[in-house]
Amino acid sequence: MIKAILVFNNHGKPRMSKFYQYFNEDMQQQIIKETFQLVSKRDDNVCNFLEGGSLIGGSDYKLIYRHYATLYFVFCVDSSESELGILDLIQVFVETLDKCFENVCELDLIFHVDKVHYILNELVMGGMVLETNMTEILTRIEDQNKLEKQEAGLAAAPARAVSAVKNMNIPQQIKDMKLPDLPQAIKDLKF
Amino acid sequence: MEAVNLLSSNKYSEKQIGYLFISVLVNTNSDLIKLIIQSIKNDLSSRNPVHVSLALQCIANIGSKEMAEAFGHEIPKLLVSGDTMDVVKQSAALCLLRLFRTSQEIIPSGEWTSRIIHLLNDQHMGVVTAATSLIDALVKKNPEEYKGCISLAVSRLSRIVTASYTDLQDYTYYFVPAPWLSVKLLRLLQNYPPPEDPGVRGRLNECLETILNKAQEPPKSKKVQHSNAKNAVLFEAISLIIHNDTEPNLLVRACNQLGQFLSNRETNLRYLALESMCLLATSEFSHEAVKKHQEVVILSMKMEKDVSVRQQAVDLLYAMCDKSNAEEIVQEMLNYLETADYSIREEMVLKVAILAEKYATDYTWYVDVILNLIRIAGDYVSEEVWYRVIQIVINRDDVQGYAAKTVFEALQAPACHENMVKVGGYILGEFGNLIAGDQRSSPQVQFQLLHSKYHLCSPMTRALLLSTYIKFVNLFPEIKTQIQDVFKQHSNLRSADAELQQRASEYLQLSIIASTDVLATVLEEMPAFPERESSILAVLKKKKPGRVPENEIREGKSPGPTANHQTEQPPAPAPTTNNVSTDLLGLSTPPASQPSTTSTSNTGVLLDVFGDMYGGTGTPAQANNVNNLAPAQSTYNAKKFICKNNGVLFENDLIQIGVKSEFRQNLGRLGLFYGNKTSFALQNFMPSLSIPDELQGKVNLQVKPVEPVLEAGAQIQQMLNAECIEDYSDTPSMVISFLYNNVPQKLTIKLPLTINKFFEPTEMNGESFFARWKNLGGNQQRSQKIFKATQPMDTTATRTKLLGFGMQLLEGIDPNPDNFVCAGIVHTRTQQVGCLLRLEPNKQAQMYRLTVRSSKESVSQEVCELLADQF
Repeated sequence: MIKAILVFNNHGKPRMSKFYQYFNEDMQQQIIKETFQLVSKRDDNVCNFLEGGSLIGGSDYKLIYRHYATLYFVFCVDSSESELGILDLIQVFVETLDKCFENVCELDLIFHVDKVHYILNELVMGGMVLETNMTEILTRIEDQNKLEKQEAGLAAAPARAVSAVKNMNIPQQIKDMKLPDLPQAIKDLKF
Repeated sequence: MEAVNLLSSNKYSEKQIGYLFISVLVNTNSDLIKLIIQSIKNDLSSRNPVHVSLALQCIANIGSKEMAEAFGHEIPKLLVSGDTMDVVKQSAALCLLRLFRTSQEIIPSGEWTSRIIHLLNDQHMGVVTAATSLIDALVKKNPEEYKGCISLAVSRLSRIVTASYTDLQDYTYYFVPAPWLSVKLLRLLQNYPPPEDPGVRGRLNECLETILNKAQEPPKSKKVQHSNAKNAVLFEAISLIIHNDTEPNLLVRACNQLGQFLSNRETNLRYLALESMCLLATSEFSHEAVKKHQEVVILSMKMEKDVSVRQQAVDLLYAMCDKSNAEEIVQEMLNYLETADYSIREEMVLKVAILAEKYATDYTWYVDVILNLIRIAGDYVSEEVWYRVIQIVINRDDVQGYAAKTVFEALQAPACHENMVKVGGYILGEFGNLIAGDQRSSPQVQFQLLHSKYHLCSPMTRALLLSTYIKFVNLFPEIKTQIQDVFKQHSNLRSADAELQQRASEYLQLSIIASTDVLATVLEEMPAFPERESSILAVLKKKKPGRVPENEIREGKSPGPTANHQTEQPPAPAPTTNNVSTDLLGLSTPPASQPSTTSTSNTGVLLDVFGDMYGGTGTPAQANNVNNLAPAQSTYNAKKFICKNNGVLFENDLIQIGVKSEFRQNLGRLGLFYGNKTSFALQNFMPSLSIPDELQGKVNLQVKPVEPVLEAGAQIQQMLNAECIEDYSDTPSMVISFLYNNVPQKLTIKLPLTINKFFEPTEMNGESFFARWKNLGGNQQRSQKIFKATQPMDTTATRTKLLGFGMQLLEGIDPNPDNFVCAGIVHTRTQQVGCLLRLEPNKQAQMYRLTVRSSKESVSQEVCELLADQF
């Protein structure tokens, strides 16, 4: 199973990370850092597999990575995955990104994090390979885009969502929450 | 909260953002989960497949227990129902897989089995791929039930393999038909032995052959992706061939194919080829074939640019080594070791040591190899390795002389590694006499050689050298005075280390006082070590579970106490632990213990010697701390808690459990404190009570549940209330289970809830005590034990224990002032049991007599049992 998918640039700045096994925030940062240190030391012409990460899963753990221009794509997997298979999966992922963004570059990943996640969701689900057929993935992404466009207030909706995410203060809200009242609260809040 | 609202939106984009938020930011433990579940439920039953997909994705990405409970029933239905769209089916299969991993029981059995298996026949390749992953996991749990998938998988595979790349259209990746699905199917088949049905088997072999043939065809594209995909399938096919291990013909072909890859331009292929060959080397059919490639492998160990590949080459060399090529391989590895990467040196040292031992026909060769090893990579030679060489030398008479000679020569080098000094010191101390006949290595020379290294060594090594010297006193009486001078120098303030000082002075006295006979007995040659599994092998297994080609590889759940933790401790009387890593206990202890470990009868002699020396100053036993057992790494001593209420109940590397308790009459309250000692959270943390059958109805216990996650470094408290209904023996226990790094751990801890906790101390005068004592004279009421003292007979310590036990200590009542008498009442809900006790120590014989009298037979017995182990 795929434990995590990390994308970072040549300086170790994370550009996307997705963990399929639960780690707390600190741990996630540590894993990214460690992985970067392991991967960045290696020449481009050595092999794409690497053992020795200590933070996830112990000995049954491999890093499979590819280096594209400024970005590293690293998949952290256990021994139940085929190495070359995953290597090709990275290729499919990148090619899909490339098709969606038309010549993908680091900036695309920064400004369209949501889209990258949607694409990844079509590719990998819960740590398992979901779909490997590029055309199929592309049609699904296009379908999603169409759906988005069909919906009225297209511009407003994501903005509203973003502001909602920004404005809320999660820990406090959780503390204030009284569980028995909840069902009612949801009803009242319907759009 | 807002995100949850977004989930219930009807607009796709809003919903999508909501789900995205949740999958990124919400973890499994959040309270929000409960809210989300309702929204997901709605989406799951939605008509719109896109919504259903979103919901499934969310479930899979979170994949928690709650999710499994909430949706365990819905998803299988989605998966097999006829009107579900392919896209949704695909997601449902993986979603189910994810939930199955979190909780095993959600997969329905019976008719579902065949329906799930038949997904392999689905038209849509995406669905088949997803289903294969699911079935693979299910098969691991329940191979019998899913046996039917073998033939389906084989036929599916043969359809893909024989298809030309135009047939499968979209699922052809760089001219390779459905590589991922092929890989998955081949993996699935590795769960079973080769198919029994000859038809199916033939077909499978045909497939495998086709795959091997295809590897020979010229590539259809120059792109690296093409060869990657093709080889992914090929490697998986080879693993299946290795797994089946029945077709010598295929195995040899596979081996040749891998041999070609070894010199391929692609680093990835070289890496994988080496890895697969490691597996091939373990099969009897292909072992010989693998050996053909030895040259190339050695070359890649030396020349390869990439350390991962070099590491694989070392692994392979280790796997392909046998009697015929051992000498060559070991030699090559030794040569390479000088320039090897630091990161793999330690492992290589272990491997060389193991190979040398395993395939040594001539043990002089073995000794040479190990000494070379220490010379080349002394820093990476762990203690186990040099312990082992000593074990072997001691157990084999034929190499002792040679070993002594070789180490002697090795020590003459101007700079030699400390490990070399250790081995040298030990071996010369034991067998120096074998080479003393030669003028060049006379006792004098040996001693001076060793002593010239003394000042450069750590205290641990110095201690060992001191022991060597005392052994020299026995072996070569002619240099006795010289050695005594050395001891004198070190027995005073000049050696800052207390251990060294003590050792030096004890040895000095020993050499002065003891007669030659005593010396000869005490300093006899070490007895042979019992043959056990090599401790080095154990270390390698621990380091690389799954890498060592041995049958019974058990992963150590938590690191047990290892020999080096105890190095500085006084010795246990004999290495009796069956833990392999404590193998060398006798060795690892500073050799001050050697005299006492040699045989028990010697201990007495030795004690006498020291007794004279420290005459009258104290108990002789303390001069040489023979009795103090080294504290084990994981301390768990329930007995200790009979006489005390608070303290650390259990401790190992992962967890510490403390307890505080108070009792009143027949009620008690315990606070249990669980502390996480690791830097990871302990998941699924669950302490639960386990009450033995005979205790049912005799005690009443209530515990408060605790949070299921114990964060790193955190401590939580659990309260436990107890009521004693009737007197009992035995004690309830706590079963604590949790996941550390996803490895399930389980501990059973006896709770400190013995019957004596419900004692109420009772004050009474001598008259009434003896009146009652006489009254309780019947056989039924009396319980008596006579036992040997296991600890020094110290009056204050005994008093403290008796007070802690819970009874009232009555002073000045017994006519003999050495005796202890106590009185107390055991409170239970049903009755109160008066109880009297008398403890009579006999210092000469180091014995105690304990008498307990009470109005109830079972109580007297239990109290007597409990207390008897305490002194």
